[in-house]
Amino acid sequence: MREMIDIIVDSKTYKAQNGSLLIDLLIREKIKVPYFCYHESLGADGNCRMCMVEIEGQKRPQIACDTLIKPNMQVRSNSENICKVRTDILELELINHPVDCPTCDQAGECSLQDFYMDYGLHNTKITIQEKVKHAKHVDLGSNVMLDQERCVLCARCTRFTDKITHTHELGIIGRGDEAKVSTMPGRKLDNPYAMNVVDLCPVGALTSKDFRFHQRVWFLQTSNSVCHGCAKGCNIYIDHNKMKYQDDVIYRFRPRRNDAVNGFFICDEGRLSYKDLQENRQESILLYEEETQENKALQELKNLIENYKEKITLIVDANLFTDEIEALVAFAKSISATLYSPLEIYKDENFKDDMLKSANRAANYKTIENLNINTTLPTKNALVINFNHPLDFEADVQINFTTHKRGKNRLTFPIAAFSENAGHLTNEDSIMQECQKAVFKNNPAPTIVEWLQKVRS
Amino acid sequence: MRECKIVSKKFEIENAHTLAVAKKHGAYASLEKLKEYSPLEIINIIQESKLRGKGGGGASAAEKWALMPQTGDKPSFLVVNCDESEPGTFKDRQIISKDPHLLLEGILLTCYAIKAKHAYIYIRGEYFQFQKILQAAIDEAYAEGLLTECDITIHRGAGAYICGEKSALLESMEGKRGHPRLKPKQKEPEWFFNNPALVNNVETIASVPFIVQNGAEVYKAFGTKQSPGTLLFAMSGHVERPGVYEAEFGTSMMEYINHFGGGIKNGKKLKAVIPGGVSCGVLTAKECENLTLDYEALRHIGSSLGTGGMIIMDEDTDMIEALKNILEFYHEESCGQCTPCREGTGWSDKLVAKILDKRGTKEDIDKLLEIADTMDGKTICVFAPSVSIVIVSFISKFRDEFEAALCVK
Repeated sequence: MREMIDIIVDSKTYKAQNGSLLIDLLIREKIKVPYFCYHESLGADGNCRMCMVEIEGQKRPQIACDTLIKPNMQVRSNSENICKVRTDILELELINHPVDCPTCDQAGECSLQDFYMDYGLHNTKITIQEKVKHAKHVDLGSNVMLDQERCVLCARCTRFTDKITHTHELGIIGRGDEAKVSTMPGRKLDNPYAMNVVDLCPVGALTSKDFRFHQRVWFLQTSNSVCHGCAKGCNIYIDHNKMKYQDDVIYRFRPRRNDAVNGFFICDEGRLSYKDLQENRQESILLYEEETQENKALQELKNLIENYKEKITLIVDANLFTDEIEALVAFAKSISATLYSPLEIYKDENFKDDMLKSANRAANYKTIENLNINTTLPTKNALVINFNHPLDFEADVQINFTTHKRGKNRLTFPIAAFSENAGHLTNEDSIMQECQKAVFKNNPAPTIVEWLQKVRS
Repeated sequence: MRECKIVSKKFEIENAHTLAVAKKHGAYASLEKLKEYSPLEIINIIQESKLRGKGGGGASAAEKWALMPQTGDKPSFLVVNCDESEPGTFKDRQIISKDPHLLLEGILLTCYAIKAKHAYIYIRGEYFQFQKILQAAIDEAYAEGLLTECDITIHRGAGAYICGEKSALLESMEGKRGHPRLKPKQKEPEWFFNNPALVNNVETIASVPFIVQNGAEVYKAFGTKQSPGTLLFAMSGHVERPGVYEAEFGTSMMEYINHFGGGIKNGKKLKAVIPGGVSCGVLTAKECENLTLDYEALRHIGSSLGTGGMIIMDEDTDMIEALKNILEFYHEESCGQCTPCREGTGWSDKLVAKILDKRGTKEDIDKLLEIADTMDGKTICVFAPSVSIVIVSFISKFRDEFEAALCVK
């Protein structure tokens, strides 16, 4: 650990590590500094020249992303001169930019727009009409679309494929104002983390084919959650919106920074797993495949529990929240049922990699282990009450509490998916994490805990 | 004018590019001195001689050499910069085509001093015919057993001007895009695949044999106190005898032009000179009157000596067209890494095109100066600042011509 020293930024004193990057301090302390190319996961590249600051004793403005903090450093981040420099560089950035914000998917979360509001020249001085033309709809592969004209050449995307995934699909070709991002000859962008370049892109050059043109970002509500794709527990934002007269819909997952778990990124499979939460959902209560009333179904359930006393098997899925699993442990005890959680089907060695993907596809298997829940099921069961485990089991009677539509069974109760409920998960590294309730459906399915209350009453 | 042929000694000897002829005229004689001197002593001699880098910057050569580690487990490399792409500069190609063994001799001495076992010559791709001569010389040197202590490999560039910038050159040699690197925080060698590397211009290395053989004092007897020695100055443009002629630093510019160049072509009057390749600010005829050719004098009047490749322009030269020509080059050659350069070179080129097309306004001239200001000192390398100097010098010194070309509104 390097020593902590005092430095002065805009006449205020801050503590910072000697020799650390100045821009990191500015970002951490929320001191306004514009930048395109710097990213904490990718390091400094120094190409956008936007993060200029004045440093006492230095004749020229310096870029904060390539300035190391030294003792007695005095920094000015908002002097008149610095604001002019930023304005001037921004003006150059815009000379060949198409300024097609109305049709750009990034509008609303675009660094170029934001910096323009801060430092823009609101009366243009550009007196030449012709702009450099590039391709506007390049399908790079992996759901990533490229608009070369909007690109600010910050090289975050190329550095991502060079430094993070080491797959080297992207590069910059051409020189000067003809420079553009492109895939290498004969290649496509195809790696399991490709869509992170969409988040990394500060402007509308790289957009998600999956998300683009579906929703304006300023309509989206954002909730913190955790991906359920595997036991890694990558932190995500759930971006959703409930449009007037319509239901609350998830439009995308985005990675949420957590240095202890996933850093800045998530895998594409996890990112697109939001779709599964909205497709093929079980919405009604079924008795012998016929829709039925809640009280009738509950009565049937209670009868079955009574009839099969001491012979009840409760199956709990390892993707449920810890809160739900604990409630089921208590419930099993109260009805003298035996609790199982078969984990075998969640093993997937093909999915595993050395970045974020875990071979264990159950988000909360650690809790199953921590609670010592039996994971091997007897081959023959009398009454099985299955709480969202994807398998069907050998049994006289099976009752399902399920998020998704599934095969024929005696009784089927719809339950809320994780995005429609709040709770906790423990990832494979034993880190407990919280998911907020993100989605508020018009006709929400009860959660497992709510169903259990109904059964008990 | 005192004749001084240090690097160009064998230029006029027929077939001096072959080993036999070169040896007959003293090539590789300085290698004998290596028996006398340790590597550090060689560096000291170069330090003593105050040899300055001849690729344009004019920094002390020995200072760079001294940064190279004399011990350590990483191999050291010498990289000779022969990516001579600056318009107006064509001196290094004289060395590699007329006296390649002088360069090889210099490489051997330098490699001995910095303890490098492998030297690369990064040559611009367009120098195909010169590269063939150089390669033949290397082959001869190998056959003669001269390259037992160190290997020499030619690496051909793919045609980017920016690869003459030493860090971009190394990136290019590593197989990456020729983008200049961020400057290091302290003085350190360059890095080639994470190994320490010394990058020097062809002429700098070619000056080493003379210094090692004759001693620093003999070298310092040429030139001025601060700019000792000689340079392969060159002339192109409106002179009677354009070409490369070696002269000592401190020579009067006009004397040089008249003596070697035979004066301005067709007896016309001189209008302007770009002193050392197009990256140096343009000088008016008046500024050239009493000017001497050394780093200090040129810096004093706000330009720079650069590579010493002078572009001579006579009274009929259209300065707007001249600026357009230069900016077109920069527009084409900006590597596109830093925003001010990437967009500034293109924009200024288009604005000057507009003025040249008689569509310009006074605002366009002001805007050009503003762009020049934004390009100055705000980028990774000195490409954009050079463009800035060029624009500012042309407009400030020939503003009346630019204003006369504006469209009347």
